[in-house]
Amino acid sequence: MNTIADFLNNSYRIHPDKIAIIDNNSKLTYSELHEEVNNFSSFLNKFPKNSVVSLLFANTHEFVISYLGTINSGCIAHLIPIGISQKNLMDQISSAKPKLVLSSENYFSKIAEIESENIEKLRFSEVKKTSYQDRKPQPSDYAYLIYTSGTTSSPKGVPVTHSNCVFTTANIVRTLQYSQDDIDVLPLSLSHSFGLGCLHTSFYVGSTLIIHKTIEITQILDSIKNYNASTLAAIPSTLSKIVSNGFDDSSNTLSNLRLIITNSTFLPPETTKKLKKILKNGKVATYYGLTEASRSTFMIFDGDNNIESVGKSSDGISLKLISNNDESTIGEIWIKGHNVIGNYWSDEHTKENIIDGWLKTGDLGRIDDDGYLYILGRVDDLINISGEKVYPQEIERVVKVLTGIDDVVASPMKHDVFGEVVKLFVKKSAEYDISKTDILTHCIKNLERFKVPAKIEFVEDFPRTDYGKIKRFMLK
Amino acid sequence: MTLDDDVKKVFLETFPALSESDFEWGKTQKDYENWDSFAQLNLITLAEAKFEITFSDDEITSIFSAKNLLECIKSHR
Repeated sequence: MNTIADFLNNSYRIHPDKIAIIDNNSKLTYSELHEEVNNFSSFLNKFPKNSVVSLLFANTHEFVISYLGTINSGCIAHLIPIGISQKNLMDQISSAKPKLVLSSENYFSKIAEIESENIEKLRFSEVKKTSYQDRKPQPSDYAYLIYTSGTTSSPKGVPVTHSNCVFTTANIVRTLQYSQDDIDVLPLSLSHSFGLGCLHTSFYVGSTLIIHKTIEITQILDSIKNYNASTLAAIPSTLSKIVSNGFDDSSNTLSNLRLIITNSTFLPPETTKKLKKILKNGKVATYYGLTEASRSTFMIFDGDNNIESVGKSSDGISLKLISNNDESTIGEIWIKGHNVIGNYWSDEHTKENIIDGWLKTGDLGRIDDDGYLYILGRVDDLINISGEKVYPQEIERVVKVLTGIDDVVASPMKHDVFGEVVKLFVKKSAEYDISKTDILTHCIKNLERFKVPAKIEFVEDFPRTDYGKIKRFMLK
Repeated sequence: MTLDDDVKKVFLETFPALSESDFEWGKTQKDYENWDSFAQLNLITLAEAKFEITFSDDEITSIFSAKNLLECIKSHR
Protein backbone atom coordinates (compact mmCIF):
# COMPACT_ATOMS: atom_id res chain seq x y z
CA MET A 1 0.00 0.00 0.00
CA ASN A 2 1.46 3.33 -1.08
CA THR A 3 -1.19 5.89 -0.18
CA ILE A 4 -4.00 6.34 2.34
CA ALA A 5 -6.46 5.79 -0.52
CA ASP A 6 -5.11 2.24 -0.83
CA PHE A 7 -6.12 1.43 2.77
CA LEU A 8 -9.85 1.52 2.07
CA ASN A 9 -9.59 0.13 -1.46
CA ASN A 10 -7.62 -2.85 -0.23
CA SER A 11 -9.91 -3.65 2.70
CA TYR A 12 -12.97 -3.25 0.46
CA ARG A 13 -11.58 -5.80 -1.98
CA ILE A 14 -10.81 -8.32 0.78
CA HIS A 15 -14.07 -8.12 2.77
CA PRO A 16 -16.68 -5.85 1.18
CA ASP A 17 -19.51 -6.94 3.48
CA LYS A 18 -17.71 -6.43 6.74
CA ILE A 19 -18.74 -3.49 8.96
CA ALA A 20 -16.13 -0.78 8.50
CA ILE A 21 -17.49 1.92 10.74
CA ILE A 22 -20.08 2.35 13.46
CA ASP A 23 -21.25 5.82 14.35
CA ASN A 24 -23.97 6.02 16.97
CA ASN A 25 -25.73 2.83 15.81
CA SER A 26 -25.40 3.76 12.13
CA LYS A 27 -23.22 1.19 10.36
CA LEU A 28 -21.42 1.22 7.03
CA THR A 29 -19.85 -1.84 5.42
CA TYR A 30 -16.58 -1.53 3.54
CA SER A 31 -18.56 -1.81 0.32
CA GLU A 32 -20.98 0.98 1.31
CA LEU A 33 -18.15 3.18 2.55
CA HIS A 34 -16.17 2.58 -0.64
CA GLU A 35 -19.14 3.63 -2.77
CA GLU A 36 -19.84 6.74 -0.66
CA VAL A 37 -16.19 7.74 -0.80
CA ASN A 38 -16.02 7.36 -4.58
CA ASN A 39 -19.22 9.39 -4.96
CA PHE A 40 -17.72 12.13 -2.84
CA SER A 41 -14.46 12.01 -4.81
CA SER A 42 -16.34 12.45 -8.07
CA PHE A 43 -17.68 15.79 -6.83
CA LEU A 44 -14.12 17.06 -6.28
CA ASN A 45 -13.07 16.33 -9.87
CA LYS A 46 -13.91 19.92 -10.73
CA PHE A 47 -10.99 21.12 -8.59
CA PRO A 48 -7.37 20.72 -9.69
CA LYS A 49 -5.41 17.88 -8.10
CA ASN A 50 -3.73 18.86 -4.80
CA SER A 51 -6.41 21.48 -4.07
CA VAL A 52 -7.10 22.02 -0.38
CA VAL A 53 -10.53 20.99 0.93
CA SER A 54 -11.25 22.20 4.47
CA LEU A 55 -13.40 19.92 6.64
CA LEU A 56 -15.26 20.94 9.78
CA PHE A 57 -17.06 17.92 11.28
CA ALA A 58 -17.58 16.15 14.54
CA ASN A 59 -16.74 12.44 14.64
CA THR A 60 -19.33 11.09 12.23
CA HIS A 61 -19.40 8.84 9.17
CA GLU A 62 -19.89 12.09 7.19
CA PHE A 63 -16.41 13.12 8.28
CA VAL A 64 -14.93 9.74 7.32
CA ILE A 65 -16.54 9.87 3.86
CA SER A 66 -15.43 13.49 3.30
CA TYR A 67 -11.90 12.84 4.51
CA LEU A 68 -11.32 9.65 2.53
CA GLY A 69 -13.16 11.13 -0.47
CA THR A 70 -10.86 14.14 -0.46
CA ILE A 71 -7.78 11.93 -0.17
CA ASN A 72 -9.09 9.60 -2.87
CA SER A 73 -9.54 12.47 -5.30
CA GLY A 74 -5.92 13.57 -5.00
CA CYS A 75 -6.84 16.64 -2.94
CA ILE A 76 -5.51 17.69 0.47
CA ALA A 77 -7.81 17.40 3.48
CA HIS A 78 -7.46 20.37 5.83
CA LEU A 79 -8.85 19.16 9.16
CA ILE A 80 -10.45 21.75 11.41
CA PRO A 81 -11.29 20.94 15.05
CA ILE A 82 -14.94 21.58 15.92
CA GLY A 83 -13.98 23.67 18.95
CA ILE A 84 -12.11 26.20 16.82
CA SER A 85 -12.61 29.87 17.56
CA GLN A 86 -13.92 32.04 14.74
CA LYS A 87 -10.63 33.98 14.65
CA ASN A 88 -8.51 30.84 14.36
CA LEU A 89 -10.86 29.48 11.72
CA MET A 90 -10.37 32.60 9.60
CA ASP A 91 -6.60 32.48 10.17
CA GLN A 92 -6.43 28.84 9.10
CA ILE A 93 -8.58 29.43 6.01
CA SER A 94 -6.46 32.42 5.07
CA SER A 95 -3.31 30.29 5.37
CA ALA A 96 -4.60 27.02 3.85
CA LYS A 97 -6.32 28.71 0.89
CA PRO A 98 -8.91 25.97 0.26
CA LYS A 99 -11.06 25.67 -2.86
CA LEU A 100 -13.89 24.21 -0.80
CA VAL A 101 -14.92 24.40 2.85
CA LEU A 102 -17.29 21.67 3.89
CA SER A 103 -19.11 21.02 7.14
CA SER A 104 -21.96 19.09 8.63
CA GLU A 105 -25.28 20.91 8.94
CA ASN A 106 -24.72 21.84 12.59
CA TYR A 107 -21.37 23.59 11.97
CA PHE A 108 -22.34 25.36 8.77
CA SER A 109 -23.00 28.67 10.54
CA LYS A 110 -19.29 28.79 11.42
CA ILE A 111 -18.09 28.46 7.84
CA ALA A 112 -20.87 30.64 6.42
CA GLU A 113 -18.99 33.68 7.70
CA ILE A 114 -15.97 33.01 5.50
CA GLU A 115 -15.88 35.81 2.98
CA SER A 116 -14.15 34.93 -0.25
CA GLU A 117 -15.40 34.64 -3.79
CA ASN A 118 -12.84 31.93 -4.52
CA ILE A 119 -13.95 29.58 -1.77
CA GLU A 120 -17.02 27.39 -2.14
CA LYS A 121 -18.87 26.68 1.12
CA LEU A 122 -21.13 23.65 1.36
CA ARG A 123 -22.97 21.38 3.72
CA PHE A 124 -22.18 17.67 3.42
CA SER A 125 -25.73 17.06 2.18
CA GLU A 126 -25.13 19.42 -0.76
CA VAL A 127 -22.31 17.32 -2.22
CA LYS A 128 -23.63 15.62 -5.38
CA LYS A 129 -22.23 12.66 -7.22
CA THR A 130 -20.91 13.20 -10.75
CA SER A 131 -19.05 10.83 -13.02
CA TYR A 132 -16.04 9.42 -11.19
CA GLN A 133 -12.56 9.87 -12.60
CA ASP A 134 -9.71 7.87 -11.19
CA ARG A 135 -7.33 10.54 -9.89
CA LYS A 136 -5.30 8.66 -7.33
CA PRO A 137 -2.75 10.52 -5.22
CA GLN A 138 0.97 9.79 -5.34
CA PRO A 139 2.99 8.81 -2.23
CA SER A 140 4.83 12.14 -2.20
CA ASP A 141 1.56 14.16 -2.37
CA TYR A 142 0.23 15.87 0.72
CA ALA A 143 -2.62 13.88 2.23
CA TYR A 144 -3.79 16.15 5.01
CA LEU A 145 -3.07 19.46 6.67
CA ILE A 146 -3.47 20.04 10.39
CA TYR A 147 -2.64 23.24 12.22
CA THR A 148 -0.77 22.52 15.44
CA SER A 149 -2.50 23.53 18.61
CA GLY A 150 -0.31 26.49 19.51
CA THR A 151 0.17 25.71 23.20
CA THR A 152 3.27 27.89 23.21
CA SER A 153 3.07 29.94 20.02
CA SER A 154 0.95 30.68 17.00
CA PRO A 155 -0.40 27.62 15.14
CA LYS A 156 1.73 26.12 12.40
CA GLY A 157 0.33 24.35 9.33
CA VAL A 158 1.59 20.77 9.19
CA PRO A 159 1.17 19.07 5.79
CA VAL A 160 1.59 15.30 6.03
CA THR A 161 2.34 13.25 2.91
CA HIS A 162 0.86 9.87 2.03
CA SER A 163 4.35 8.45 2.36
CA ASN A 164 4.68 9.79 5.94
CA CYS A 165 1.33 8.34 6.77
CA VAL A 166 1.81 4.90 5.22
CA PHE A 167 5.09 4.53 7.12
CA THR A 168 3.46 5.56 10.41
CA THR A 169 0.43 3.32 9.95
CA ALA A 170 2.53 0.27 9.09
CA ASN A 171 4.60 1.07 12.17
CA ILE A 172 1.51 1.17 14.41
CA VAL A 173 0.13 -2.06 12.96
CA ARG A 174 3.43 -3.90 13.36
CA THR A 175 4.19 -2.65 16.88
CA LEU A 176 0.71 -2.97 18.36
CA GLN A 177 -0.27 -6.01 16.28
CA TYR A 178 -3.53 -4.66 14.88
CA SER A 179 -5.43 -7.09 12.65
CA GLN A 180 -8.67 -7.41 10.70
CA ASP A 181 -10.16 -9.22 13.70
CA ASP A 182 -10.01 -6.09 15.83
CA ILE A 183 -12.99 -4.01 16.86
CA ASP A 184 -11.65 -0.59 17.79
CA VAL A 185 -13.39 1.90 20.09
CA LEU A 186 -12.34 5.46 19.40
CA PRO A 187 -13.45 8.35 21.66
CA LEU A 188 -10.90 10.72 20.09
CA SER A 189 -11.24 13.61 17.68
CA LEU A 190 -10.61 12.49 14.12
CA SER A 191 -9.30 15.96 13.33
CA HIS A 192 -6.35 15.33 15.62
CA SER A 193 -3.26 13.26 14.81
CA PHE A 194 -3.96 10.63 17.52
CA GLY A 195 -7.52 9.92 16.42
CA LEU A 196 -6.74 10.15 12.72
CA GLY A 197 -3.87 7.68 13.10
CA CYS A 198 -6.30 5.22 14.69
CA LEU A 199 -8.72 5.64 11.77
CA HIS A 200 -5.90 4.93 9.30
CA THR A 201 -4.91 1.87 11.29
CA SER A 202 -8.42 0.38 11.24
CA PHE A 203 -8.81 0.77 7.49
CA TYR A 204 -5.24 -0.40 6.83
CA VAL A 205 -5.94 -3.76 8.49
CA GLY A 206 -9.67 -3.87 7.66
CA SER A 207 -10.99 -3.93 11.22
CA THR A 208 -14.21 -2.34 12.51
CA LEU A 209 -14.01 1.18 13.91
CA ILE A 210 -16.52 2.53 16.44
CA ILE A 211 -16.30 6.31 16.60
CA HIS A 212 -17.59 8.44 19.46
CA LYS A 213 -18.46 12.13 19.31
CA THR A 214 -17.76 12.70 23.01
CA ILE A 215 -15.82 11.15 25.85
CA GLU A 216 -18.88 10.09 27.85
CA ILE A 217 -17.47 7.24 29.90
CA THR A 218 -20.72 5.28 30.10
CA GLN A 219 -21.08 5.38 26.31
CA ILE A 220 -17.49 4.21 25.83
CA LEU A 221 -18.05 1.33 28.23
CA ASP A 222 -21.33 0.47 26.49
CA SER A 223 -19.57 0.31 23.11
CA ILE A 224 -16.86 -1.96 24.47
CA LYS A 225 -19.46 -4.26 26.01
CA ASN A 226 -22.08 -4.26 23.23
CA TYR A 227 -19.66 -4.77 20.35
CA ASN A 228 -17.22 -7.01 22.22
CA ALA A 229 -14.45 -4.57 21.33
CA SER A 230 -10.80 -5.58 21.34
CA THR A 231 -8.99 -2.23 21.47
CA LEU A 232 -9.55 1.17 23.05
CA ALA A 233 -7.65 4.34 22.17
CA ALA A 234 -8.13 7.19 24.62
CA ILE A 235 -6.35 10.11 26.19
CA PRO A 236 -4.93 9.61 29.72
CA SER A 237 -7.62 11.66 31.48
CA THR A 238 -10.35 9.45 29.96
CA LEU A 239 -8.54 6.34 31.16
CA SER A 240 -8.05 7.80 34.64
CA LYS A 241 -11.77 8.54 34.84
CA ILE A 242 -12.67 5.04 33.67
CA VAL A 243 -10.58 3.37 36.36
CA SER A 244 -11.77 5.73 39.09
CA ASN A 245 -14.38 4.29 41.40
CA GLY A 246 -17.34 6.02 39.84
CA PHE A 247 -18.14 3.48 37.12
CA ASP A 248 -19.68 0.20 38.16
CA ASP A 249 -18.50 -2.85 36.34
CA SER A 250 -15.84 -0.96 34.36
CA SER A 251 -13.24 -3.58 35.28
CA ASN A 252 -15.35 -6.40 33.86
CA THR A 253 -16.07 -4.42 30.72
CA LEU A 254 -12.42 -3.62 30.06
CA SER A 255 -11.00 -6.97 31.08
CA ASN A 256 -11.22 -8.65 27.67
CA LEU A 257 -9.61 -5.85 25.66
CA ARG A 258 -6.39 -6.91 24.02
CA LEU A 259 -5.01 -3.37 23.86
CA ILE A 260 -5.46 0.03 25.47
CA ILE A 261 -3.43 2.70 23.71
CA THR A 262 -2.96 6.23 24.96
CA ASN A 263 -0.67 9.11 24.04
CA SER A 264 2.32 10.83 25.57
CA THR A 265 0.44 13.26 27.75
CA PHE A 266 1.28 12.12 31.25
CA LEU A 267 -0.46 8.89 32.23
CA PRO A 268 -0.33 8.60 36.02
CA PRO A 269 1.55 5.39 36.95
CA GLU A 270 -1.35 4.47 39.25
CA THR A 271 -3.71 4.48 36.25
CA THR A 272 -1.30 2.34 34.24
CA LYS A 273 -1.03 -0.15 37.10
CA LYS A 274 -4.81 -0.31 37.55
CA LEU A 275 -5.36 -0.86 33.83
CA LYS A 276 -2.74 -3.60 33.69
CA LYS A 277 -4.41 -5.31 36.62
CA ILE A 278 -7.83 -5.10 34.97
CA LEU A 279 -6.76 -6.56 31.60
CA LYS A 280 -6.76 -10.35 31.62
CA ASN A 281 -4.36 -10.78 28.72
CA GLY A 282 -4.30 -7.36 27.14
CA LYS A 283 -1.62 -4.73 27.04
CA VAL A 284 -1.41 -1.05 27.91
CA ALA A 285 0.69 1.07 25.60
CA THR A 286 1.57 4.67 24.96
CA TYR A 287 3.57 6.53 22.37
CA TYR A 288 5.38 9.79 21.79
CA GLY A 289 4.75 11.78 18.69
CA LEU A 290 3.72 15.09 17.21
CA THR A 291 1.58 15.92 14.22
CA GLU A 292 4.91 16.63 12.49
CA ALA A 293 6.39 13.26 13.51
CA SER A 294 3.63 10.86 14.34
CA ARG A 295 4.28 7.85 16.60
CA SER A 296 8.04 8.28 16.98
CA THR A 297 8.30 5.96 19.99
CA PHE A 298 6.14 3.23 21.49
CA MET A 299 5.99 1.94 25.02
CA ILE A 300 4.25 -1.31 25.86
CA PHE A 301 3.97 -1.61 29.63
CA ASP A 302 4.98 -5.23 30.11
CA GLY A 303 6.56 -4.99 33.54
CA ASP A 304 6.72 -2.42 36.30
CA ASN A 305 9.93 -0.85 35.00
CA ASN A 306 10.09 2.35 32.95
CA ILE A 307 6.46 3.04 33.79
CA GLU A 308 6.92 6.79 33.22
CA SER A 309 8.72 6.34 29.91
CA VAL A 310 7.20 6.83 26.45
CA GLY A 311 9.35 4.00 25.13
CA LYS A 312 12.03 3.51 22.53
CA SER A 313 12.26 4.92 19.03
CA SER A 314 10.50 2.89 16.35
CA ASP A 315 12.36 1.19 13.50
CA GLY A 316 13.49 3.72 10.90
CA ILE A 317 13.21 6.65 13.33
CA SER A 318 16.17 8.33 15.03
CA LEU A 319 16.09 10.47 18.16
CA LYS A 320 18.74 12.72 19.63
CA LEU A 321 18.87 15.18 22.50
CA ILE A 322 20.36 18.60 21.89
CA SER A 323 21.58 20.64 24.83
CA ASN A 324 23.75 23.71 25.29
CA ASN A 325 25.59 21.82 27.98
CA ASP A 326 27.68 18.94 26.60
CA GLU A 327 27.54 17.04 29.89
CA SER A 328 23.79 17.25 30.31
CA THR A 329 21.78 14.08 29.83
CA ILE A 330 18.71 16.21 29.23
CA GLY A 331 18.03 18.10 26.03
CA GLU A 332 15.58 19.10 23.36
CA ILE A 333 14.30 16.06 21.46
CA TRP A 334 15.11 16.06 17.75
CA ILE A 335 13.54 13.42 15.46
CA LYS A 336 14.45 12.15 12.00
CA GLY A 337 12.71 9.45 9.99
CA HIS A 338 10.11 8.63 7.36
CA ASN A 339 7.37 9.80 9.70
CA VAL A 340 8.79 13.34 9.86
CA ILE A 341 7.31 15.98 7.57
CA GLY A 342 9.61 17.57 5.00
CA ASN A 343 8.35 21.07 5.58
CA TYR A 344 5.70 23.21 7.21
CA TRP A 345 2.99 24.91 5.17
CA SER A 346 4.98 28.10 5.64
CA ASP A 347 8.68 28.31 4.70
CA GLU A 348 9.41 30.51 7.69
CA HIS A 349 8.45 27.75 10.14
CA THR A 350 10.42 25.18 8.13
CA LYS A 351 13.68 27.12 8.41
CA GLU A 352 13.23 27.53 12.15
CA ASN A 353 12.23 23.98 13.01
CA ILE A 354 13.59 21.46 10.50
CA ILE A 355 17.35 21.18 10.05
CA ASP A 356 18.82 18.58 7.67
CA GLY A 357 15.69 16.47 8.09
CA TRP A 358 15.81 16.69 11.90
CA LEU A 359 12.64 18.05 13.49
CA LYS A 360 13.22 20.23 16.55
CA THR A 361 10.30 19.22 18.74
CA GLY A 362 10.54 21.85 21.48
CA ASP A 363 10.10 19.00 23.99
CA LEU A 364 12.67 18.30 26.66
CA GLY A 365 13.62 14.71 27.21
CA ARG A 366 15.99 12.28 28.82
CA ILE A 367 17.07 8.90 27.43
CA ASP A 368 18.19 6.25 29.91
CA ASP A 369 20.99 3.72 29.38
CA ASP A 370 18.55 1.22 27.86
CA GLY A 371 17.28 3.73 25.29
CA TYR A 372 13.95 4.57 26.96
CA LEU A 373 12.79 8.14 26.41
CA TYR A 374 11.25 10.24 29.18
CA ILE A 375 9.40 13.47 28.39
CA LEU A 376 10.17 16.23 30.87
CA GLY A 377 8.21 19.12 29.43
CA ARG A 378 8.54 21.90 26.91
CA VAL A 379 11.75 23.87 26.45
CA ASP A 380 9.79 27.12 26.77
CA ASP A 381 8.05 26.07 29.98
CA LEU A 382 11.09 25.66 32.24
CA ILE A 383 10.94 27.58 35.52
CA ASN A 384 14.24 29.16 36.57
CA ILE A 385 14.45 29.32 40.38
CA SER A 386 17.74 30.88 41.48
CA GLY A 387 19.46 29.23 38.53
CA GLU A 388 17.85 25.83 39.14
CA LYS A 389 15.82 24.67 36.12
CA VAL A 390 12.53 23.14 37.18
CA TYR A 391 10.27 21.15 34.88
CA PRO A 392 6.62 22.08 35.48
CA GLN A 393 5.56 18.53 34.66
CA GLU A 394 7.58 17.17 37.56
CA ILE A 395 5.56 19.29 39.97
CA GLU A 396 2.30 18.58 38.17
CA ARG A 397 2.88 14.83 38.34
CA VAL A 398 3.38 15.03 42.08
CA VAL A 399 0.19 17.04 42.57
CA LYS A 400 -1.93 15.00 40.14
CA VAL A 401 -1.81 11.90 42.32
CA LEU A 402 -3.88 13.69 44.97
CA THR A 403 -7.58 12.89 45.11
CA GLY A 404 -9.63 15.93 44.19
CA ILE A 405 -7.38 17.30 41.44
CA ASP A 406 -8.95 17.48 38.01
CA ASP A 407 -6.04 19.22 36.32
CA VAL A 408 -3.04 21.27 37.34
CA VAL A 409 -0.48 23.58 35.77
CA ALA A 410 2.79 24.73 37.34
CA SER A 411 3.92 28.06 35.99
CA PRO A 412 6.71 30.57 36.73
CA MET A 413 5.95 33.58 38.94
CA LYS A 414 8.33 36.52 39.28
CA HIS A 415 10.03 36.74 42.69
CA ASP A 416 12.31 39.48 44.09
CA VAL A 417 14.74 37.07 45.73
CA PHE A 418 14.67 33.90 43.62
CA GLY A 419 13.99 35.39 40.18
CA GLU A 420 11.16 32.95 39.62
CA VAL A 421 9.16 30.66 41.89
CA VAL A 422 6.44 28.14 41.20
CA LYS A 423 2.83 29.18 40.98
CA LEU A 424 0.28 26.40 40.80
CA PHE A 425 -3.04 26.66 39.01
CA VAL A 426 -5.43 23.95 40.14
CA LYS A 427 -8.77 22.84 38.76
CA LYS A 428 -10.50 20.92 41.50
CA SER A 429 -12.66 17.92 40.70
CA ALA A 430 -16.33 18.24 41.45
CA GLU A 431 -16.42 15.23 43.76
CA TYR A 432 -13.88 16.25 46.42
CA ASP A 433 -13.06 19.57 48.06
CA ILE A 434 -9.28 19.62 48.41
CA SER A 435 -7.69 22.59 50.21
CA LYS A 436 -4.57 24.60 49.40
CA THR A 437 -3.10 23.38 52.67
CA ASP A 438 -3.58 19.74 51.59
CA ILE A 439 -1.77 20.43 48.33
CA LEU A 440 1.10 22.34 49.94
CA THR A 441 1.63 19.77 52.66
CA HIS A 442 1.78 17.07 50.00
CA CYS A 443 4.26 19.13 47.96
CA ILE A 444 6.49 19.76 50.97
CA LYS A 445 6.63 16.01 51.60
CA ASN A 446 7.29 15.07 47.98
CA LEU A 447 9.31 17.86 46.37
CA GLU A 448 12.58 19.65 47.04
CA ARG A 449 12.00 22.90 48.93
CA PHE A 450 12.63 25.20 46.00
CA LYS A 451 10.06 23.34 43.89
CA VAL A 452 7.24 23.76 46.39
CA PRO A 453 4.68 26.24 44.99
CA ALA A 454 4.83 29.72 46.48
CA LYS A 455 1.28 30.37 45.42
CA ILE A 456 -1.75 28.27 44.57
CA GLU A 457 -4.72 29.55 42.64
CA PHE A 458 -7.90 27.56 42.11
CA VAL A 459 -9.39 28.02 38.64
CA GLU A 460 -12.70 27.03 37.09
CA ASP A 461 -10.90 25.88 33.94
CA PHE A 462 -7.81 26.62 31.88
CA PRO A 463 -7.45 28.62 28.68
CA ARG A 464 -7.34 25.99 25.99
CA THR A 465 -6.50 25.61 22.32
CA ASP A 466 -9.03 24.48 19.76
CA TYR A 467 -7.85 20.92 20.41
CA GLY A 468 -8.42 21.23 24.16
CA LYS A 469 -4.77 21.52 25.18
CA ILE A 470 -3.95 24.00 27.94
CA LYS A 471 -2.38 27.25 26.74
CA ARG A 472 0.43 27.46 29.30
CA PHE A 473 1.82 30.70 27.98
CA MET A 474 -1.40 32.45 28.97
CA LEU A 475 -0.83 31.47 32.61
CA LYS A 476 2.63 33.03 32.83
CA MET B 1 -7.80 22.76 67.95
CA THR B 2 -6.43 26.05 69.24
CA LEU B 3 -4.58 28.59 67.12
CA ASP B 4 -1.36 27.57 68.87
CA ASP B 5 -1.90 23.96 67.81
CA ASP B 6 -2.61 25.02 64.23
CA VAL B 7 0.54 27.12 64.01
CA LYS B 8 2.59 24.34 65.52
CA LYS B 9 1.14 21.95 62.92
CA VAL B 10 2.13 24.30 60.08
CA PHE B 11 5.62 24.44 61.53
CA LEU B 12 5.95 20.67 61.81
CA GLU B 13 4.58 20.18 58.29
CA THR B 14 7.10 22.64 56.88
CA PHE B 15 9.94 20.84 58.65
CA PRO B 16 9.02 17.13 58.38
CA ALA B 17 12.35 16.12 59.95
CA LEU B 18 11.51 18.04 63.12
CA SER B 19 9.98 15.88 65.83
CA GLU B 20 7.28 17.26 68.09
CA SER B 21 9.52 16.90 71.14
CA ASP B 22 12.18 19.08 69.49
CA PHE B 23 9.69 21.84 68.77
CA GLU B 24 10.13 25.02 70.81
CA TRP B 25 8.29 28.31 70.28
CA GLY B 26 11.38 30.38 70.96
CA LYS B 27 13.84 28.48 68.74
CA THR B 28 15.04 30.84 66.00
CA GLN B 29 15.94 30.35 62.36
CA LYS B 30 19.65 29.88 63.10
CA ASP B 31 18.82 26.95 65.41
CA TYR B 32 17.31 25.00 62.51
CA GLU B 33 19.63 23.33 60.06
CA ASN B 34 17.00 23.26 57.31
CA TRP B 35 15.50 26.73 57.72
CA ASP B 36 16.87 28.31 54.57
CA SER B 37 15.25 30.92 52.35
CA PHE B 38 13.18 28.30 50.53
CA ALA B 39 11.95 26.83 53.82
CA GLN B 40 10.95 30.36 54.81
CA LEU B 41 8.98 30.63 51.57
CA ASN B 42 7.30 27.26 52.20
CA LEU B 43 6.44 28.27 55.78
CA ILE B 44 4.88 31.55 54.70
CA THR B 45 2.98 29.98 51.81
CA LEU B 46 1.59 27.20 53.98
CA ALA B 47 0.61 29.59 56.79
CA GLU B 48 -1.09 31.96 54.33
CA ALA B 49 -3.06 29.08 52.83
CA LYS B 50 -3.98 27.59 56.19
CA PHE B 51 -5.14 30.81 57.83
CA GLU B 52 -6.35 32.50 54.64
CA ILE B 53 -4.26 35.62 55.20
CA THR B 54 -1.57 37.46 53.26
CA PHE B 55 1.59 38.58 55.00
CA SER B 56 3.23 41.87 54.07
CA ASP B 57 6.90 41.92 53.04
CA ASP B 58 7.81 43.46 56.42
CA GLU B 59 6.01 40.70 58.27
CA ILE B 60 7.72 38.00 56.19
CA THR B 61 11.18 39.35 57.00
CA SER B 62 10.33 39.58 60.71
CA ILE B 63 9.42 35.90 61.14
CA PHE B 64 12.43 34.13 62.67
CA SER B 65 10.68 31.73 65.05
CA ALA B 66 7.44 29.86 65.59
CA LYS B 67 6.56 32.50 68.17
CA ASN B 68 7.03 35.28 65.61
CA LEU B 69 4.77 33.38 63.22
CA LEU B 70 2.07 32.92 65.87
CA GLU B 71 2.12 36.63 66.77
CA CYS B 72 1.99 37.64 63.14
CA ILE B 73 -1.04 35.44 62.53
CA LYS B 74 -2.76 36.76 65.68
CA SER B 75 -2.33 40.31 64.41
CA HIS B 76 -4.43 39.38 61.35
CA ARG B 77 -7.34 38.15 63.45
